[in-house]
Amino acid sequence: MIPDDLKETLQRQIAATDHPREQVMDVVFILQDRFGYLSDPLLEEVAALVGMTPLEVEEIATFYEFIYRKPVGRHVIHVCDGVVCWMLEYQSVLDYLRSKLGIDYGQTTDDGRFTLLPTCCLGYCDRAPAMMIDRKIYGRLTPERIDEILGKLR
Amino acid sequence: MPKLMIDDRKIEVAPGVKVIAAAEQAGIVIPRFCYHPALGSVGACRLCAVKFLDGPVRGLQMSCMVEARDGMVISSTDDEAVDFRRFVIELLMRNHPHDCPVCDEGGYCLLQDETIAGGHAMRRSMGKKRTHRDQYIGELVQHEMNRCIQCYRCQRFYQDYCGYRDFGVMGSASRVYFGRYADGALENPFSGNLIDICPTGVLTDKPARFKGRRWDFQRAPSICIHCSLGCSITVNARYRELVRVEARRNDDINGHFICDRGRYGFAFANHPDRPRQARINGRDTSYEEAIQTTTQRLSEIARTLGPDSIACLSSSRAGVETQMSLKFLTRSQGWRQPGCFVDRSEQNSVTAAVGRLTPERVVSLGEIEKADLILVIGVDPILEAPMLALAMRQAQRAGAGIIILNPQPVSVPFAYDHRPISPDDLCSTLQKWTRSISSQTRTESHFVEKHEEYRGPETPSVPCPLPPVDSLLQNSRRPMIVCGTNIVGTAIIHAAADLARDIHSDCRFPGLFYVLPGPNAFGAAFASAGGKSFSDILPDIETGNIKALILVEADPIFQFPDQERVKNAVKQLDLLVVLDYVPSRSVGFAGQSLAEMVSPAPLHVVIPTLTHFETQASFINQEGRLQQTTPVHVNGLPMSQLTGGKHPPRKFRSDVPGAGARAAWQVLSELEAVLSSTPADSITFADIWYRIGLAWNISVENRTEIPGNLRILSTTVESEPMTEHYRDD
Amino acid sequence: MQILFQNRQPDRIASLEEYRNSGGYEALTLALKKYTRAEVQQLALDAVLLGRGGAGFPAGRKWMTVAESAPFPRYMVCNADEMEPGTFKDRVLIHTDPHQIIEGMIIVGYSVLAEKGIVFIRTSYENAARIMEQEIVRAKEAGFLGKNILGSGFSMEIAVHRSAGRYICGENTAQMRAIEGKRANPTQPPPYATEKGIWGLPTVTHNVETLACIPHILRHGPEWFKSLAATPTAAGTKLYCVSGRVNRPGCFELPMGTRLSEIIEDHAGGMQEGYQFKACLPGGASTRFLPKSFYDIEMDFDAMKQAGHRLGTGSIIVFDHKTCLVAATLNMIEFFARESCGWCTPCREGLPYIREILSRIESGEGCNDDIPQLRRMCRYLCNTYCALAPGAVSPVESLLTYFEDDVQEHIRQRKCPFK
Ligand SMILES: Cc1cc2nc3c(=O)[nH]c(=O)nc-3n(C[C@H](O)[C@H](O)[C@H](O)COP(=O)(O)O)c2cc1C
Ligand code: SF4
Ligand code: SF4
Ligand code: SF4
Ligand code: FES
Repeated sequence: MIPDDLKETLQRQIAATDHPREQVMDVVFILQDRFGYLSDPLLEEVAALVGMTPLEVEEIATFYEFIYRKPVGRHVIHVCDGVVCWMLEYQSVLDYLRSKLGIDYGQTTDDGRFTLLPTCCLGYCDRAPAMMIDRKIYGRLTPERIDEILGKLR
Repeated sequence: MPKLMIDDRKIEVAPGVKVIAAAEQAGIVIPRFCYHPALGSVGACRLCAVKFLDGPVRGLQMSCMVEARDGMVISSTDDEAVDFRRFVIELLMRNHPHDCPVCDEGGYCLLQDETIAGGHAMRRSMGKKRTHRDQYIGELVQHEMNRCIQCYRCQRFYQDYCGYRDFGVMGSASRVYFGRYADGALENPFSGNLIDICPTGVLTDKPARFKGRRWDFQRAPSICIHCSLGCSITVNARYRELVRVEARRNDDINGHFICDRGRYGFAFANHPDRPRQARINGRDTSYEEAIQTTTQRLSEIARTLGPDSIACLSSSRAGVETQMSLKFLTRSQGWRQPGCFVDRSEQNSVTAAVGRLTPERVVSLGEIEKADLILVIGVDPILEAPMLALAMRQAQRAGAGIIILNPQPVSVPFAYDHRPISPDDLCSTLQKWTRSISSQTRTESHFVEKHEEYRGPETPSVPCPLPPVDSLLQNSRRPMIVCGTNIVGTAIIHAAADLARDIHSDCRFPGLFYVLPGPNAFGAAFASAGGKSFSDILPDIETGNIKALILVEADPIFQFPDQERVKNAVKQLDLLVVLDYVPSRSVGFAGQSLAEMVSPAPLHVVIPTLTHFETQASFINQEGRLQQTTPVHVNGLPMSQLTGGKHPPRKFRSDVPGAGARAAWQVLSELEAVLSSTPADSITFADIWYRIGLAWNISVENRTEIPGNLRILSTTVESEPMTEHYRDD
Repeated sequence: MQILFQNRQPDRIASLEEYRNSGGYEALTLALKKYTRAEVQQLALDAVLLGRGGAGFPAGRKWMTVAESAPFPRYMVCNADEMEPGTFKDRVLIHTDPHQIIEGMIIVGYSVLAEKGIVFIRTSYENAARIMEQEIVRAKEAGFLGKNILGSGFSMEIAVHRSAGRYICGENTAQMRAIEGKRANPTQPPPYATEKGIWGLPTVTHNVETLACIPHILRHGPEWFKSLAATPTAAGTKLYCVSGRVNRPGCFELPMGTRLSEIIEDHAGGMQEGYQFKACLPGGASTRFLPKSFYDIEMDFDAMKQAGHRLGTGSIIVFDHKTCLVAATLNMIEFFARESCGWCTPCREGLPYIREILSRIESGEGCNDDIPQLRRMCRYLCNTYCALAPGAVSPVESLLTYFEDDVQEHIRQRKCPFK
């Protein structure tokens, strides 16, 4: 599944560390950015690359929030439900996204563009309410700003 | 030595002992889930809370996480501690499925015990219960995740203790999941221990599933006979059927665990084709007739052809009583000495190994874990003595170096230093090391080697350059030499013993640990002293010098490589007697109808015997330890075979169907009695042990219950000289 | 007085040149050329530099626990996980003047001879991760990192590790496991991280803000550092984050021990129009609610401790009189329940249970037994394996202490009185 050139880059990156295992999440992130989510075949390739068993990779992959083990849309919208955003209009942001996209948490739009997920406090409380899409943060959300942001994402 | 007080009891424990273990020494068992003596403390379940009233630590603390220290005053019954523990149970039971009626853990369940003991009964939470999907993890262990209390014992056992990497913990927060990456059989050959170690019904015995409750079972302490280590087990039977085997704690040998072969390898005892009735020439007959016919024919042969024409063969799986009864029989009749091995070189190897074990050098499996350097010669541990691999892994986790001398790398769950030495050079290499060690003086540095993190059973070993083995041995404090007897010859067995003899060490002599080819190979070495292996008597059968052959729990027709040759040879016998409890080839051969056989008609007799689950039997393991089994149930046709799996009948009868077998030593003693015209009914187990005691010049205090710590070594017991039958091979 | 924020500019990070022009990397030169490693440690100790990650442990003391004979390589970890709800100071600091963090890391590295530096950054700070990566390269080009730094014989490399997202990864022992590519469960000493940390090697972990203080202490001395604080026992400045119902939420560098009222009113612009101060969490979600009666408290480690509170990260979340604190607490418990690492029973199972009870109360289905049961749980959740759960129950416990009436009102009215 991983193209040869990428595989070589990854192998070099892994070989440069004392403990290949240290690189496991970095490799997962690179592949996830490229392929959208960590599918079983990808996970198994990761395991082979870093010298772990698939179970060992799964043990870690399922521990964390931002490793997707199921298919997601091209862009994953993480809406911050931290306490500050919650106090400052989280609910209306969520409601707006839900009605605009026609999906609820855990779902993906029919065109495969967006997946909607909650996330904990993003550390942008000074700009609440906030959300994160593709590891980029958007704060001080209003319906207009949401329209604008989503409009740019294909 | 810290002195402390737990629940008003003063105790003194060794430094470094955790409070939970210290309490146990004082007879106080503090509730626990995650703590396990073999797996250590991890402070996960929080059930072992006690109150520290005075001393260096104060307040509510986990007794598994705090080391016992001088001046501690601890209460396990303090109100707050009791209430906290009740709280922990309440939390754990909040998501429990409460499906105890259909849970096989019933009777074994620590969760039930702790729940009742902890005083929790009513679920106050109104929330939904968490549920999980179960996995298929093979035919041995059943997986039912909803019952999990997340003690992490299974994961710690599987990965840390055993070193296998296909079962673990996934997810986080309140959705942790213990299982595999995908459905599939567990790879760990010790996986059955998960059943014993899981405190709830998540991981249960699959072959025994729904076969009964613990309190329905007949249970008895026993010994595993699947390799020469002789691990301690507990056997469970119901309705005359063996149902399950559990590990029985024995700190000298197997600790808390056993291997899967030992746990699941009891099907032979329930085998539908097991011989249950005596047979003469393929015809069922009574035991009495079988004895009578056999003794008649034996006397005839002895009279007409001389006592030398009668040969007897037992095996290394037969118990001491059986092997020795056979010896007594042959002696009383002046027949040839019995053999216990099919193959001559095996007899030689075992005899050599048994002859070289001395009280100073012999070590138990438990001590292997304490080694700081292990030299492994000619053994594949996982195949030949599985628990040895686990013991070596514990040594390695504690920092020991392991050197394996083998042409090819072996598959073991720990990192080791592989020295590929060709079989031809092995002996001379060992001798060279012995010479160099004898000429050196000990230097003070001791063995420290950096081991790569273990990467799986297939991992190639630590890279070169490697330090020379002789200097590693010389400088280690507790070196142990593990040597096989299967693929290596007597020369290497002796070379290994010489090496062990000549390593001088400050603390003690180095350990010598042989792996033998059978649960009672050690006893077989004694019993076969002066006797010949089957391969050595086969020519005498072929030439007609031997006319009668008695096989006692031995199966040369299967084990001898050239089966046609054996069959043709035994066809020429006048008398073939087979005593066994399994439907072996030899039993099959002797049990068939003789219609097409030549005349004068030979006599073929089969006499069924008892397994060690049905009678007391003793086995000497590879370190010379004499151990005894306790019968768990009476012999007889399993109820399920009688009723075709239906509900047992409510008809009562006084006899046990299919109970025609007797212990082999009983049969042999009876043969001896009849042949010697002495009364037979007086021969008891104690009588046999009286005779064995005389023969070996040992005193066995209680002749029906042999203590588990009695070592029978060639240097400590009297026996006939054990000579190896060298030939130019 | 702006120390850590001396180079703060709107919407732009300070360049290496700007940092150097303001005295940057002078401290490193001093450390490597003038001071012995023991002296560096002593300076931090004398400066009473307390860890800014929440625990407030003296930094110098931590370095001293790395034994001279300890094995190599040793690790220096910069903890930029910052997942404590309401906290964003580390993000602001990285976006303001990243080199003072790098310089701090090198100085700590030198003081304990740690040649491997790791910046552990949370997923949502991807931007900060890139900044750090870029500035590490610049620092290396300038000769502050790499082999034989400034001819001292000391070498150090720094790498950035991106977390895949779990609050527990901020706890330093769990973080070490995360760095090793293992499940991020915390581990209890012994052994201590400074003896056996990452891969069994000595590891010193510091919060971003702690590290940023270090170059300034070395340059200006401990006495100067202590004089920065507003209260006599405290030292240095503090980055206070203010969020919630205030006019100007943000991160402010103020003398350690500045009064809460001053921070909220003078710096964060006071409460929003039409809203009154009801309570705040002074140091992120894992600290106790401060009701109005503490409005003038001095925000430093000692004063808070004396008042029975915790400074935590000094991140003030301001709640107004129209916000339901039961619902707010429920929100935070939801967070903590989700973020438990799953290792120990009271946290893994107790937090969801608290969530169940709180949500029942909030939706008007609470009963009178719930309050004592919650109290009992708060007490017992302090007996967990790590500090996550004791922090998690702080809002619940203080809600019951200071705002029991609000809770009772929910039960009595069978609904949330704020809805
Ligand atoms: C649950 C939990 C989360 C933590 N999260 C962070 C964090 O995000 N950032 C941080 O610097 N310290 C965090 N800490 C504190 C660290 O464990 C550690 O004390 C700190 O990084 C040490 O640095 P300091 O001495 O500079 O404060 C956390 C502690 C706990 C118990
Ligand atoms: S499966 Fe059993 S042993 Fe494993 S964590 Fe759950 S209860 Fe413990
Ligand atoms: S190691 Fe040998 S004796 Fe022990 S359980 Fe396994 S087969 Fe039986
Ligand atoms: S308190 Fe226990 S379960 Fe919670 S994060 Fe710490 S170790 Fe994990
Ligand atoms: S036995 Fe001590 S915490 Fe589990």
